Amino acid sequence: MNPSQRRGLLGSALLSLLVLLIVGAYYLWGETWQARVLYATFVNLLVVIGLQVFTGNANLTNFSHAAFMGIAAYAAAICVTPVAMKAISLPDAPWGLNAFELGPWTSALVALGITGGLGLLTGVFVARLTGVGVTIVSIAILVIVHSIFLHRTDIFKGNQALFGIPKVLDLPQITALVIIAIFAARWFRESRFGLQLRACADDEIGARAMGVNVFRTRLIAWVLGTLFFAVAGIAYAFFLGTISARPFYFNFVFLTVAMLILGGLRSVSGAVFGTLLISIGLETIRWLETGPQIAGLKLPQMLGLSGLMLGVVIVAVMALLPSGLMGNLEIEDLLRRRKRAETPEPR
Amino acid sequence: MDYAIQQILNALSFGAEYALIALGLAIVFSIMGLVNFAHGEVIAFGGYSMVIIGTVLTGNPFILMGAVLIACVLVSVLLERVAFRTVRKADLTTGLLTAFGVSIILQNAFLLLGSPRPIPATQFIFLDRTVLVGSIQVSSLQIYETVATALAIVALMIFLRRSTLGLAMRAAALDFEMVRLCGLRANRVIATAFAVSGLLAGLACIFIMARRGAVSPHMGFDPVLTAFVACVIGGFGSLPGAVLGGFLLGAVEVGVLVLLPQSYGSLAHAAVFALVALILVWRPDGILSPAKEKGDKI
Repeated sequence: MNPSQRRGLLGSALLSLLVLLIVGAYYLWGETWQARVLYATFVNLLVVIGLQVFTGNANLTNFSHAAFMGIAAYAAAICVTPVAMKAISLPDAPWGLNAFELGPWTSALVALGITGGLGLLTGVFVARLTGVGVTIVSIAILVIVHSIFLHRTDIFKGNQALFGIPKVLDLPQITALVIIAIFAARWFRESRFGLQLRACADDEIGARAMGVNVFRTRLIAWVLGTLFFAVAGIAYAFFLGTISARPFYFNFVFLTVAMLILGGLRSVSGAVFGTLLISIGLETIRWLETGPQIAGLKLPQMLGLSGLMLGVVIVAVMALLPSGLMGNLEIEDLLRRRKRAETPEPR
Repeated sequence: MDYAIQQILNALSFGAEYALIALGLAIVFSIMGLVNFAHGEVIAFGGYSMVIIGTVLTGNPFILMGAVLIACVLVSVLLERVAFRTVRKADLTTGLLTAFGVSIILQNAFLLLGSPRPIPATQFIFLDRTVLVGSIQVSSLQIYETVATALAIVALMIFLRRSTLGLAMRAAALDFEMVRLCGLRANRVIATAFAVSGLLAGLACIFIMARRGAVSPHMGFDPVLTAFVACVIGGFGSLPGAVLGGFLLGAVEVGVLVLLPQSYGSLAHAAVFALVALILVWRPDGILSPAKEKGDKI
């Protein structure tokens, strides 16, 4: 292991500690409804960490993550829902989709396989492109997948809910998933491929000249990112019990991209901090949106306030801190920097 | 035969609308490399200002049309001043995300200050009438739309070729630094680009309002998404490319609707986007964009 990989381990451990502290605080003082909020935050965290793998390291904006998450969520949900339940929720499903059921583990593996396969297929196209091309093809993927969800109501129920999915995961399991994801993303960032990918983002021609296979590196990151989205999608379906096509579209894409850029594209710690900050902020704003009473003052109901703030965050971060809160730094760099500032420099 | 002519006219008017919006995107992109996703909200702003002016001041449709055009130009220039000037020198991703942010802010502002439900504004509906040309029934709006787009393209061409500022804008698309060295103000060139883009958005807004007869916060998003695709197909930043892409996309969309069975109508969007993805894989820089070496702009 080289020094930066060792530091990567330390940084991932610190971030995991932060996640564990939050979960611990919930178990000590939290109320039951907050478990749902925390779970949703962790699902978002999985997505944002997955985004960091491709978007962050390659500096190419990807908007298709909601599509892959949706594919995995539907695949897992259709596999795991009991036959008796599917007779009600998916009566017209073709190809015998409503005539079998699998265990949660097998379902998750099937969903991962399907999403990973599609990731590989799309990745072969995406990895050839540069700049805006990647963004547009990713939007195309998002729109195509969403249209198919809406069109095949016999399989996906469109905007109606696909219900009856057994609840498989809970807070402890997703905490474990998040910690694994943090270590995996950080490991990728410090690995040979991560370094090559960051080099391509800074100077593609230079990287090529140094012998980096840009296509292969981008393909690996794209597929790996897809797997993160798949895990998030599966976790989403396995907790909520019902899914519909609506959440897997532009609104969710904006939310997660805002989380990533607030923290800073280039660092895994940034992804974690951005997600936590925006989640906390949004919960506060959602509470304001319903028009609560503060000190006897009845605030009006304000629809759209959360979206407005999200946009303000994106624009402000881009204008004032183009590389996000963390920039190129990881959590352990912050600590080391403080240490260096405290001890006087030797002359 | 009648059916074919009707469909061709459909394709032309769809294409004209996409071409108008795509031109607005391309003119900004060619000069400052910004993918302006907030363009759709400029269109929606035009719609809202029409509602306000229409109820407060006057219902005269021709004055309203002028007002919509002015409102779109003003808001477009304002957005450049407030939001996009800070990211002028930043890379493509930063600009793209900023534009997305602005688009979200405006959409939610419309939601917050207006209403999530469509607000009716029917002053332009009179443009949409059925007229008989020979033995064929056509919608007058489609004719207006095609003609107005053609006129706008010609006017834009004259402006870009005959005026100093137009010349500066064409030069800026090639090498912005050089234009500044020649003594032209960067701010003025960019503000003009945004003004032209706003004017085109206003024109598109009038036709969209004539067809829909109501404004809603998200009304600009879908047309701009499609226009964005049109830009990409034609070659991003190339103005002829944007027009070509717009009309091509209109033809494809009508073609898909005609050829696919009725029950697949909801997949028209998916088919268009799949086609785009394939075109991009075939020519990553779009159809009309000049072949460029990777190291050219560094």
